[in-house]
Amino acid sequence: MRSAIAAALLLTTSLFAQSTIPNNPGKKPKIAIRNVTIVPVTSPAIAKGNIVFENGIITAVGPNITIPNDAAVIDGTGLFVYPGMIDSGTNIGLVEIDSVPGTVDTAELGDINPNARAAVAINPHSEVVPVTRVNGVTNAITIPEGGIISGQSALIQLSGWTPPEMVLKPSVAMHIRFPRLRGFPLAGVPQDEEAEKEAKKGYTRAIDQLRNTMRDAQAYAKALSARNSDKNVQRFDRDPILEALVPVVEGRTPVVLHANQARDIKAALQFADEFKLKAILSGANDVARVIDEVKKRNVPVILGPILALPQREDDAYDVLFTNAKTLYDNQIPFAFQTSDAHNARNLPYHAAASAAYGLPKEEALKAVTIYPAQIWGVADRLGSIETGKSATLILTDGDPLEIRTNVKRVYIGGEEISMDSRHTLLYEKFRQRQ
Amino acid sequence: MKKILFALALTMTLHAQERVTLIRNATLLTITNGTIENGSVLIRNGKIAAVGKDIAAPAGANVIDATGKYVTPGIIDTHSHTAVEGSVNEISLPNTGMVRIGDAIDTTDISVYRQLAGGTTMALVLHGSANAIGGQSQILKWKWGRPLGEWFIPDAPRTIKFALGENPKSANFRPPAGQERQYPATRMGVEEVIRKSFNDARDYLAAWDEYNARVKRKETAIPPRRDLLMETMADILNGRIDVHAHSYRSDEIVMLLNLADEQGFKVRELQHVLEGYKVAKEIARHGAAAGTFIDWWGYKAEAYDAIPYNIALMTRNNVVVSVNSDSDELARHLNLDAAKAMKYGALTEEEALKLCTLNPAKQLRLDHRLGSIETGKDADLVIWSGHPFSTYTRAETTMIEGTVYFDRAQDLLRREELRKEKEQRLKKEEDDANAAKKEKKDA
Amino acid sequence: MILRRSVAIVLLFLAAPLLFADAPGVYAITGGTVHPVSGPDIPNGTVVIRNGLIESVGSGVSIPSDATVIDVKGAHIYPGLIDAQTFLGFTTPKRGDKSAEPTPDALAVRNAKISDDDASAGRNLGVTTVLTAPTSGIFNGQSAIINLGSGPIESRVIKSPASTQIAFNTRPTWTYPDSLMGVMSYIRQELMDAQQHQAARSLYERSPAGLRRPADDAQLEALQPALTRQLPVVFVADSASMIRRAQTLAKEFNLKLIIAGARQAYQMPDELKGVPLLVSVKWDTAPTDKEDREDQPLRVIRDRQLQPTTPSVLAKAGVEFALVSSPGKAGDYFGGIRKAIENGLTAEQALRATTLAPARIFGIERQLGSLERGKIANVIVSDKPIFEKASKVTRVFIDGREMHLPAEEKKAAATAAAPIDGTWALTVRAPQGNVSMSVTLKASDGKLAGTFSGDRGSGEIRGGSIDGTAFEFTISANAQNEAEATDWLFKGTLAESNMTGTVSTTLGTFEFSGSKSE
Repeated sequence: MRSAIAAALLLTTSLFAQSTIPNNPGKKPKIAIRNVTIVPVTSPAIAKGNIVFENGIITAVGPNITIPNDAAVIDGTGLFVYPGMIDSGTNIGLVEIDSVPGTVDTAELGDINPNARAAVAINPHSEVVPVTRVNGVTNAITIPEGGIISGQSALIQLSGWTPPEMVLKPSVAMHIRFPRLRGFPLAGVPQDEEAEKEAKKGYTRAIDQLRNTMRDAQAYAKALSARNSDKNVQRFDRDPILEALVPVVEGRTPVVLHANQARDIKAALQFADEFKLKAILSGANDVARVIDEVKKRNVPVILGPILALPQREDDAYDVLFTNAKTLYDNQIPFAFQTSDAHNARNLPYHAAASAAYGLPKEEALKAVTIYPAQIWGVADRLGSIETGKSATLILTDGDPLEIRTNVKRVYIGGEEISMDSRHTLLYEKFRQRQ
Repeated sequence: MKKILFALALTMTLHAQERVTLIRNATLLTITNGTIENGSVLIRNGKIAAVGKDIAAPAGANVIDATGKYVTPGIIDTHSHTAVEGSVNEISLPNTGMVRIGDAIDTTDISVYRQLAGGTTMALVLHGSANAIGGQSQILKWKWGRPLGEWFIPDAPRTIKFALGENPKSANFRPPAGQERQYPATRMGVEEVIRKSFNDARDYLAAWDEYNARVKRKETAIPPRRDLLMETMADILNGRIDVHAHSYRSDEIVMLLNLADEQGFKVRELQHVLEGYKVAKEIARHGAAAGTFIDWWGYKAEAYDAIPYNIALMTRNNVVVSVNSDSDELARHLNLDAAKAMKYGALTEEEALKLCTLNPAKQLRLDHRLGSIETGKDADLVIWSGHPFSTYTRAETTMIEGTVYFDRAQDLLRREELRKEKEQRLKKEEDDANAAKKEKKDA
Repeated sequence: MILRRSVAIVLLFLAAPLLFADAPGVYAITGGTVHPVSGPDIPNGTVVIRNGLIESVGSGVSIPSDATVIDVKGAHIYPGLIDAQTFLGFTTPKRGDKSAEPTPDALAVRNAKISDDDASAGRNLGVTTVLTAPTSGIFNGQSAIINLGSGPIESRVIKSPASTQIAFNTRPTWTYPDSLMGVMSYIRQELMDAQQHQAARSLYERSPAGLRRPADDAQLEALQPALTRQLPVVFVADSASMIRRAQTLAKEFNLKLIIAGARQAYQMPDELKGVPLLVSVKWDTAPTDKEDREDQPLRVIRDRQLQPTTPSVLAKAGVEFALVSSPGKAGDYFGGIRKAIENGLTAEQALRATTLAPARIFGIERQLGSLERGKIANVIVSDKPIFEKASKVTRVFIDGREMHLPAEEKKAAATAAAPIDGTWALTVRAPQGNVSMSVTLKASDGKLAGTFSGDRGSGEIRGGSIDGTAFEFTISANAQNEAEATDWLFKGTLAESNMTGTVSTTLGTFEFSGSKSE
């Protein structure tokens, strides 16, 4: 029996989660792409320009750039260069096959797990990584799920041999699934009175638990800071849960509040006020209903998945498509997420759906490039094509938000990425079968 | 009360369109006859009466100017669970072929309207995949707001759902506490359930043959028990019910095709068929069609080898392929999933367009009246704001048999009406509640 | 023979005087407005009752010398009301309890367990007759129409069986049928089996030689009167789609269809011509929370506001209907009827729908449903027109016997609850973090009883006591990561809606605080 389990485990590891796609051996050569249309995102497009990058950093961009003699030159005639796209909410690296528990590391047990960190559990050799990046999605926020305080997300690049090589920002945000009374998608009031009583009790308990934890964390932070500045303050036992929340209650680490229903969004915002949190909203399906509350606080909103169903029968069929325009009209910062792993590659089409329903196209592009870079605090490195930024670029034959566009080449941190994935390899293999 | 009447009237005007409609100045993606720029479609009594460049509007015709817009046939989804009241699975037995989705249609499911808003006009509504042989499925046109009887297509074939792999063997779910796990638990058992069901059906038919022979000989005979399940199985053997089989792995696909050959029935359409690309030749040889997702993968073990190139490889092996949804959400933009087949495996635009129009019509044996813009076919049409393969495109108007069931401009107008009605009704309830509270207090 | 056995038993009370050894006597109810239902109202009329039957009704009726005269001047006299779809005497079995599911041959009259409380709940309102059947299964057996008088149930039967009862209930997951479509197939197969059973039996009885003997089957036998239209089939169907499903099945098997529930019949009066309806007056209600109401679809809100128009819509369309309480209880009956009246039904139509209409639907109109000579003396007196809000039924006669109505005694005010009684949200400040639990307490004679549930499991409290504001109790708390439980002793002080104190555990003593939940 035991050997059978061992065998099954072996089989699992060999079958699952073992991308055979070669990683680039860490070279960051000098590369120039010439005669290409450059879409820097933060400035107007440059027709027939050149880009040079070296050691992972863009060294020159523009219409009249001299190409160094020692650079490998890529001819970009008829093609376009865009910054790599950033998915602001995924489980990439934490899940290989949803229904096989051994390959799933998304949710810890219990409700309060601020000390759970995605950064330590990302599988760099997940098949999901190459599948995603070959469609131009080069970076992602990868998020723990479940419970109330789910844990800390990491900002990763979709390339690297080890988790540290992939992780650009290990504790980019704390994630709170804000307690909700009515479930998601929105469920009606339970028919059964007892069930309704239970639901209300459970909701109150969850809110209490969250607020008590935060209050404890505030006290802990105070004690910690006292002890740190004065060794005469009495020593106390360390608590990893509360300790993980210290940067949150001190307003240093942003908190992503996942909430979709109007009443939950409102409650989440009040919670953020109460604890003076650096808040980011996520999901926010009902954001248009509480737009004033959001605007008042200028809280950034991570929208998505956009290609999803409205949660109420009476909601307009296009409510999720038009949310981005509503935020844009109200000058609230926003970015898109897929909330997916396997199809995070479809991030650009979530953005495009918003553009089909009123968001300017260039805004849709920004919301998968520079806006997320700003929200996640990495606009100095990512999100646009500018000298001094990371050479995280995609070479395409058109608008990357269009399905019919093909991504020709991908560079992450200056490295050229293989365009192979599990999908292309299986395709090539079975094309041979006649 | 007046409000309701108004809302009803609004719906009525939408449905009581002129019986002659001309759509003109559109880019027609006819599917079978290429693209017609500045084209017109004349619709008479729900049928396409003429298609071409210069069609004059008959007197009294309702003219829709579609300048700058594209027209395609309505999108057909061959894998839907929309509009089912109660569970889509009769989960209790390994073979539940006696149950019929058609008995449990809910015409108020808002997903129907949302799909119209994405250009989908018709669906094969399938039983779930909890059993090796599931229930009988139902082909429906999404005639939102009309009585159920009008949703059925008179000459549509009867269909049934089969299911292979993880779901019928209950790999990913367990019965509630106190219930025994149900046979089968392996792909071997799934095959056996199907084989035994057909063996039983043959015995059943034989018993009736014996009975009829005795009656013919004027002997007294007690008729065998009529059994709804066995009648279903017999109808499959007699070719009166089409099999749509949920499948993932290539081995189970080959298993079913061989079993079908052995038992003497045809698999009309393999559903999901995510590893179809591995055995495309075998599928083509059997003559089965394939309805699949373009890019879903990795959600369970049997979906780990799913690749978006599946459609291209099967198409190149002469399998009739459709993209379908299995999802109320995906069913709102199957045009975009079809577009992905150009990206993954380089289907031509025409081949890709067929994936959500003519090919599903063929799979449902309804291509004589659906799936392309041709004279004589049903006027199930979608007017798009741009090319339906552009991610920036919206469905603007969706019609079935010449009647508009979705129109974006109308929808935007109606939102305000419905919002007001809701507000008034909620206010009435609040007033009533306050009055009752006051009365109670006074008493 | 089979058929004869299942013909409805109609007990004629005239023929059974011995059941009434304590003779019901002779009454003349005088001075009130008589509402015979079968004819125009009679101001200042008289109803004479003798030996359980109505002897005479009118304005100039001479009062027999042996009659006890009951003067109800200013009041209203009606036939007793008939609630033609109830589950009186049946409880809803626990989900998953298959043994409790009724079968097609189950006779309600044998299985109903009607307490006097059950009966008086209806009686106090003026309901003197009910149809009852269980509701939890698919084939819910055969209903009975009974009077709510006294005496053994057999003596009170008006008609049994009165109908075959079918409902579209699913069985628990993993038991066929566990889906609506499965229920449809199940009903079809069962009725087909009943047809086949009958065919096989009659063939065999005609010439058994050379034929295999069909098995005996009481359930299939019990369905024969439904298949031959001798017994109506009541389908419980509320929504328009369910009503149409019932109609589909009734058509397929040529059943004599009655629909019970039918709250969405307002949507489809034209489709219901010729189908008697037992319209439930348990109208859907709005959630109490405003945001919950706003989150509901307009379709649902509109429906719950239009449901109560069903009776008036049906009345206008000329569809025969009765107003019934199921799936509500007797206590909700009049409120529901009044709501129908507010929505366009006239009081006369409402009265008819609770008297003569149900009697006609079930073919008992020669015995019940109106005040007419020779009918069963189910008579009620109301101080005001019966469905008016403040009306009170003052006298009820069933089978000619006056029923005792509860006196107008005010229920003794509930003894004031002790301040600790209620549910408390407690937080224990343990070193690993806060532990939350909810504790429900009740004080009685210095003792504390109650339950707890929360982070460390749930159960009853033990050893509880209270003295003034000081209290203590013990719980068996689950360890955080293990199955074993350890005792936690709570000692605390009560201050209005707060409590504080300490918890002693094997790991040490911690503080706790709590507040009272609403």
